[in-house]
Amino acid sequence: MKKRKNLYLLALLPFLVVAFMYEIIPLITVIVNSFQSDSGGGFTLENYHTVSSRLLYQMAVTNSLKISLISAGIGILIAFLGARAAMNVGSRFRRVFMTILNMVSNFAGIPLAFAYMILLGNAGIIVQLGRTMGWDALANYNLYTSNGLAMVYVYFQIPLSTLLLIPAFHAIRKEWKEASMLLGAGSSTFWLKVGIPVLMPSILDTFSILFANALAAYATVYAIMMNSISLLPIQIAGCFVGEVKIQKGLGGALSVTMMVIMVIMILLTSTISKRFQKGVKKA
Amino acid sequence: MKKHRAGSGIILLLILVWLLIPLIVTIIYSLFQNWTGIIPRGFSLKAYAEIFSDPAFLSALGRTILICIIPILITILLVLLALFVTGLFFPGLERVVQIICMIPYTIQGVILSVSILSMYVANKTFLGNRLVMLTGAYCIIILPYIYQGIRNGMRAVNMPVLIEAAETLGASRIYAYFRIIVPNIISSVIVSSLLAVGIIFGDYVLVRNLDGSAFQNIQIYLYQAMKSDSMKSSAVFVVIMAVTFAISAVVLWIQGHQGKHSEKTAK
Repeated sequence: MKKRKNLYLLALLPFLVVAFMYEIIPLITVIVNSFQSDSGGGFTLENYHTVSSRLLYQMAVTNSLKISLISAGIGILIAFLGARAAMNVGSRFRRVFMTILNMVSNFAGIPLAFAYMILLGNAGIIVQLGRTMGWDALANYNLYTSNGLAMVYVYFQIPLSTLLLIPAFHAIRKEWKEASMLLGAGSSTFWLKVGIPVLMPSILDTFSILFANALAAYATVYAIMMNSISLLPIQIAGCFVGEVKIQKGLGGALSVTMMVIMVIMILLTSTISKRFQKGVKKA
Repeated sequence: MKKHRAGSGIILLLILVWLLIPLIVTIIYSLFQNWTGIIPRGFSLKAYAEIFSDPAFLSALGRTILICIIPILITILLVLLALFVTGLFFPGLERVVQIICMIPYTIQGVILSVSILSMYVANKTFLGNRLVMLTGAYCIIILPYIYQGIRNGMRAVNMPVLIEAAETLGASRIYAYFRIIVPNIISSVIVSSLLAVGIIFGDYVLVRNLDGSAFQNIQIYLYQAMKSDSMKSSAVFVVIMAVTFAISAVVLWIQGHQGKHSEKTAK
């Protein structure tokens, strides 16, 4: 019988083969490559030195961090307002709202870039509207800057973040609100002292998903900016694809940098989140 | 309280308007020849007629559909077999399978594509073939969705009990698995494959990094059209979004249906 059981392990084999060939080994290769010089030779930290010392790559790291933090932050803020509002309206309106969010959450990549160029590009519809109406803020809007780009990031964060936060709001019980009102707290005191702390673990989890989502975003940025902005995904792809020779080592070091940033964010948010969960349990 | 409700309604409406404006504007844009002032002029379906009579567009569409189907079938089969083994014989390995399946969530497109590229690009065998690399990459990128879908489906049916019942009736385990368990979780399998279709249909990163523009899928087609003809590309945009929305509508419908069904059986 034991032998028979082990025979069934064969059915697991195809899965493991594909996973190792296209996921595990390639990832390990990237990490190993990052410690090897592109001009040949053995173990080296040269690539990491290049990443940390050259302005282009320093900018890639800071730009990526900046746009990911800002878009995730604004995304969470709007999601909080949206999810809270969704709890206050009738269930029918909420369903329609969530269906549309679900649909729009697939609106990303090249099509999203294209729509924003039609809307806010140099000859965009809204920019033109701003010119005819004399609204300077819209007339002078420039999509092709990092601030202009942040707007597109915020756009694709909103459906995802709101959909992720709405379920968490089910945990806020009406009785808590009533109890705090009876004790004389206003709505804002309730949210600051009770609501947000209770939601904090979900908010942090969602934040880290949004952060990763923005950090890895490539198609949208590439379509809008080409290579005129230095961001981690753009630099990574640039090391492997393009006219110049493939730079496995440097590209590897950049990829590892990006993965490390992601892991740090996950660890950071989950540690803070545990602290909040403990607090809730104690109470 | 009522005032609260109205305020919430306004917030939701504002969010919806913000999310829908880019879509609606681009759809209108595809239908009018001239939109330089405030009001679009010259209604025409010319852009649509043009793309649907363009062989390059049609073959890009066909290629995209083809490259969707193959990786999804492969991944579904792999995950079904893997969960068959872990579910019935080696529950301890379940955790390993789960971790492998969730890694693609965090690494995503760019890193996955460059790591596969740097490993196989110099390979002289079929592994160095760009389409083989792309298929492999798609299998991995959809893994989390297929895994979760099938896993959730299996949780809903009591697999060990059903298999045991089938065994007492004389069926072999693998027969019971594919003839009883799989048909029972087929709606979860469909939902997760549709989500996977959505992902591959919307992919630009993997196909661009692994195949350059040699394998022109629908996203590459849109990207190239964007540079030359904005009206034509807005029609391509509308086709892409229509397919994407149709997929998510079917997913939502099946999920809603499933929800109702399981509520009924739960009662």
